[in-house]
Amino acid sequence: MTERPAPFLGGRTLAPLPPRALSGFVLAFVAVLLIGFFTYRLLDARYAAAERITKTLESIEQLQAVLSTLKDAETGQRGYLLTGNEQYLTPYTAARSEFPGLMKSLRGSLTDAGQLRRLDIIEQLAVEKIAELGQTIDLQRAGDNNRALEVVRSDRGRAAMDRIRAGLGEMEKEERTQLANRQTEWQSAATFSSIVTSGGGVVLLLLISAAAMLTSRDHQQRETQIWMRTAQLGFGEQLQGDQRLDELGDKVLAYLARTVGAQVGSIYIAEGPDRFRRFAGYALAPESKIDVLQPGDGLVGQAAKEKRTLKVVEVPDGYLPVSSTIGRGTPRQIVVTPALTDGTVHAVIELGFFRQVHPADIELLDRLAEGLAVAVRSSKDRSRLEDLLAETQRQAEELQTQQEELRVNNEELEEQGQALKASQVQLENQQAELEQTNSQLEEQMQLLEHQKDRLAKSQTVLTEQAAELTRSNQYKSEFLANMSHELRTPLNSSLILAKLLADNKDGNLTPEQVRFAETISSAGNDLLVLINDILDLSKIEAGKFEVHAEPVPVARSVEELARSLRPLARQKGLSFKASVAPETAAQIETDATRLGQILKNLLSNAIKFTDKGEVTLRAEPAANGGVAFVVRDSGIGISSEQHEVIFEAFRQADGSTHRKYGGTGLGLSISRDLARLLGGDITVESAPGKGSTFTLTLPLAYSEPVEEEASASVMFTSTPLPAAENVEFIRPPARPSKPSHTSPPAATPDDDRERLSADSRLILVIEDDPRFAEILRDLAHERNFQCIVAPTANEGLAAALKYRPSAILLDMNLPDHSGLGVLDQLKRTPQTRHIPVHVASVADYSQEALERGAIGYALKPVQREQLVEVMQRLEAKFSQGLKRVLIVEDDARQRESMTLLLANDGVDITGVASATEALAQLRASTYDCMVMDLNLPDLSGYELLEQMADQEGVSFPPVIVYTGRSLTGDEEQRLRRYSRSIIIKDARSPERLLDEVTLFLHQVESTLPVESQRLLKVARARDLALEGRRILVVEDDVRNIFALSSVLEPKGAQIEVARNGREALDALDRATTPTGIGVDLVLMDIMMPEMDGLTAMREIRKRAEWKRLPIIALTAKAMKDDHDKCLAAGANDYIAKPLDVERLLSLIRVWMPK
Amino acid sequence: MPSTLFDIEMRLLVDAIFLKYHYDFRGYSEPSLKRRLTTAMSRFGCATLSQLQDKVLHDPSVFPPLLDYLTVQVSELFRDPSYFRALREKVIPLLRTYPSLKIWVAGCSTGEEVYSLAILLHEENLLSRTLIYATDINAHALEKAEAGVYDIDRIAGFTVNHRNAGGRSSLADFYSAAYGHAVFDKALKSHIVFSDHSLATDSVFAEVQLVSCRNVLIYFNRELQDRALGLFREALCRKGFLGLGSKESMRFSAHADDFDPVAETDRIYQRRDGR
Repeated sequence: MTERPAPFLGGRTLAPLPPRALSGFVLAFVAVLLIGFFTYRLLDARYAAAERITKTLESIEQLQAVLSTLKDAETGQRGYLLTGNEQYLTPYTAARSEFPGLMKSLRGSLTDAGQLRRLDIIEQLAVEKIAELGQTIDLQRAGDNNRALEVVRSDRGRAAMDRIRAGLGEMEKEERTQLANRQTEWQSAATFSSIVTSGGGVVLLLLISAAAMLTSRDHQQRETQIWMRTAQLGFGEQLQGDQRLDELGDKVLAYLARTVGAQVGSIYIAEGPDRFRRFAGYALAPESKIDVLQPGDGLVGQAAKEKRTLKVVEVPDGYLPVSSTIGRGTPRQIVVTPALTDGTVHAVIELGFFRQVHPADIELLDRLAEGLAVAVRSSKDRSRLEDLLAETQRQAEELQTQQEELRVNNEELEEQGQALKASQVQLENQQAELEQTNSQLEEQMQLLEHQKDRLAKSQTVLTEQAAELTRSNQYKSEFLANMSHELRTPLNSSLILAKLLADNKDGNLTPEQVRFAETISSAGNDLLVLINDILDLSKIEAGKFEVHAEPVPVARSVEELARSLRPLARQKGLSFKASVAPETAAQIETDATRLGQILKNLLSNAIKFTDKGEVTLRAEPAANGGVAFVVRDSGIGISSEQHEVIFEAFRQADGSTHRKYGGTGLGLSISRDLARLLGGDITVESAPGKGSTFTLTLPLAYSEPVEEEASASVMFTSTPLPAAENVEFIRPPARPSKPSHTSPPAATPDDDRERLSADSRLILVIEDDPRFAEILRDLAHERNFQCIVAPTANEGLAAALKYRPSAILLDMNLPDHSGLGVLDQLKRTPQTRHIPVHVASVADYSQEALERGAIGYALKPVQREQLVEVMQRLEAKFSQGLKRVLIVEDDARQRESMTLLLANDGVDITGVASATEALAQLRASTYDCMVMDLNLPDLSGYELLEQMADQEGVSFPPVIVYTGRSLTGDEEQRLRRYSRSIIIKDARSPERLLDEVTLFLHQVESTLPVESQRLLKVARARDLALEGRRILVVEDDVRNIFALSSVLEPKGAQIEVARNGREALDALDRATTPTGIGVDLVLMDIMMPEMDGLTAMREIRKRAEWKRLPIIALTAKAMKDDHDKCLAAGANDYIAKPLDVERLLSLIRVWMPK
Repeated sequence: MPSTLFDIEMRLLVDAIFLKYHYDFRGYSEPSLKRRLTTAMSRFGCATLSQLQDKVLHDPSVFPPLLDYLTVQVSELFRDPSYFRALREKVIPLLRTYPSLKIWVAGCSTGEEVYSLAILLHEENLLSRTLIYATDINAHALEKAEAGVYDIDRIAGFTVNHRNAGGRSSLADFYSAAYGHAVFDKALKSHIVFSDHSLATDSVFAEVQLVSCRNVLIYFNRELQDRALGLFREALCRKGFLGLGSKESMRFSAHADDFDPVAETDRIYQRRDGR
């Protein structure tokens, strides 16, 4: 990317000048040299010519000087000759001395041979002349003037002179010719020289301008190069760094536009072989929407296809418009450059200019385009590399997680293997243990055999003793009964007689005699009371005391008692108050006579042992749900040690008491026994001097102890007695196990848990009343069951789990939990679910119990026959009695095939074709299960179900809907009210049908809480807070909807169901309209389809009119922040699933608008 | 009792996460958790777990990525094709007899399992009366699941699985591909409820006919496995079905007696009757 200056590249040296400039310079140099040389030569020639001219001129001068010298010499001679004056000889002498020199110089300056020859001639002539002159002079001097003159007259001198003159003239002429020649020569030399000079100048000028041109061009080129290089460098900088393509585009384009001065531009990048996508734009008009191009598409595509730069000069309007907020325009020229590298187009740059585009621009663009191409390619490569890297990283990560999974799987397997091993070891251990136990068992068995033998022996003895005891007891009772009878008969007559006497009807007795008779009568009465007491006691002890239970109005009995005892109290000066607490049950079911007897006894005692103060009788609700009759006095009181003693027969608190207050001491004992017989008890609270409080508690309903061996009872006739009419005396049973004394209530009767045999038929009795438990136990024994008795709910559940009895008899009122709870638990626990449970109780919870899966419900007091029946039903149930299935299907073939499918030993199938028949069947008998089609000829399936629910006397077995129709959500929900099991007919449906039917038959499945049962409950459980209130249940789970409505509807609430948030909003909308009935409270599930609860709540809270609507969120999430989320979304409160009904109800009560 | 320093730190970290974010990893299988945390440590540049704990407690933005590390998300469409074939052959015919269906995919991660089931049900013409609850503790994974967008290069594998699982239609009918991704049909999603639910802390929310919880229990220790199976048992209607991962066995669970195998090798069980 970086381009360094050339001279440094590889140390290579370059010419100092570009070759063209260099050759120019060399040419100029040579031209200058040539011109100089020529000029020099020409100058030289001219100098020579000039010199020769000068010489010629000099020669001419000298020739003239020679002539003049000769003339001077001639002149001097002539003067001398004429004058004889010596003085005139001076020029002659001078000429004579000068002449040789002159000649010499002349000779020197003459070059021409002709001239020299002429000069020689002249010199000779001159010498002759001079010599003639000298002769004359000499002649003169010698005074021979005449001769001198003669010589002169001889004309010799003159001729010489003429010849000289001619010679000289000739010479001069010659010289002048030469001069002219030389002058011409010089002239031509000068002309040539000037020609050469000017020519050279022109050449030089040309060369210089050429060189200048070259240099300027080079400079320009260099400048362009520098510009380009700078641009490239800058471009390189733009491209520097690892840039993603998309970042690169805009940067590069902006730079390009800035550098080449383009006003608008875009870059298309190659994506695949024939796709170009615009990935950068510069000042593009917003409507330039062409994003994707193919090679050949438009200019860009064309440039990409041709792989060369295209330049468009005449740009049509609207093409690649430039846009600003102020206006828009179309560039004048457009350049489209493909970015090529390795022959591949990686991108196409398109630029628009307002100015002319120079080739340099295009060149630069080409170069930069290449750079861009490289950058794009490397960026693509980089992206690909990054992608690959990311991919490998992802794969590595994935591999790691997969590895993790594998490892975890391995660990899991290992753990399972270890667990297997451990269980194997455990099994081995168990086996060893078993072996050991087996041997131990064998030993023990032997031991047991021995013990059994011994036991059998002692049992025989015991049985004999017991029989004896029973007999003697019987004798005692019989004796007592007989004796009292025998006593009463005479006493009766003596009493009647005494009474007659005391009445003194004849008036013949003295008052004293009357008093005696009264005393006899009174004493006899006392005796009678005593006898009755003894009789009662013996009856109670014998366990044969018949109770006539009937509804007894509490207030009235209290009032009656008070009325009868008030005179007695008044007699003793005591105040007597009787009252009934407001919450007390209005009436109880018990034996009114016995109740009166007990209370009378307690009150008489109270009055008897109280000397002053008051005696009160108050009826109030007892802790166990019955009624408590509280007799309170302010009498002498009883110390705590005596509390139990006073209830024992034949004893009183203090020996002296008897003497002071009289009485048999049997009253309390009898009262307590009676109370217990009535299912209640008597307790005492007292301290000496502080008065006493006797409390008689009785249950709301009396449960009758069962008489045994009624056929064997012996009836004694007796005179009617005031306190015990119609008493049946039943011979005590011969069974040794029958206790002759009643046990305290908490004690558990003996049962068979210690002597269970392996294959025993076992009945579990969960009953807190030991008497009833005993009766049941004995009944069980009688029917050849073993029996276990559990007095509390917890013990009962534990026993059920431990002993897995064949059947369970369950009381409803247990001390720790309700019997319903026990039933529920039993039915929820898989191990005990199958055990048939029969309920017996004083309270009528039959619906609840049957709903929860009890097979029957006996209301106390129960007749013995009833109990026998119960046992039989239980026996039938667990010994796989006949199950009855009702099939309601109009198609005969279907019905038949279903019958065949369900046919099984012990299953009795009745098939009917119409709803009417089905109803008739259900009215006539009970079924364990009903399978019905929805399409029936007379009524629809829904109608049938509704009628079953509505009509009295129609049993409602578990219903399985078996239909070929697919159901809508609403239909399904409607059916769910009656049937938990809906099967759509399909290939595998027979299997499921068989499954479901079997399920219903082989376990005591709780019947569904159908509408009729709900209606029953309504009366009992109406909750004022919920009565008539509308609750919107937003919940999509049928099971939960069902549970919620079965809790809320019996409380009088009206339920509307929405299955998701959207439906909830719609329902609220409907409810808010003027005709709507309104919604008082919303129960909102969180996890729902379409719109979840949180969103729904937020939507609800957005509406002003629903701001105050109470919403309780139902969430399966346990975390606090989930709850916070509910509250943040607008819930008033929340409750976690699984729902606790009590909590939910209290929440609803809290939030329900008052 | 934790023996090494790492174990101690791990327990503290897991407690810290529970207290701060209410995500309960205390019942997770220790060896796995250890490995995941070791990886996470190097990812977050922490030398010790205590440093990681410091980070997680004071920078809530660290928790979501850490959660991604703690919850392993490996899945594909119709993973273990034989499981889906077994569902198709042994479970679907029975599910067909219910008027409406609810299915719970517990630990749905990024949703592959959910879409597989939805496609299967669609092919069996049951989807219209089905509601699928897809739950997971990782909200981030749930978002992905709800988006239903997967890399296109995974689709090929999915297609093979789908065919092997006895697919009756072309997988391509259920997704549309663009820009390197494939997105699953909205029509499938309209039958799915995505929700945050923790098998460690939360309770049952609906009665369902099928629970599919595959390769989730292996990350739990025995107690948590039992809790989860208990939830499933409670959620299932009687004779409802439970599908587990290929290495997950019911045999040693406290609830082993509550289930009968339907397809033992494919780990499909059926709840025994009664409640």
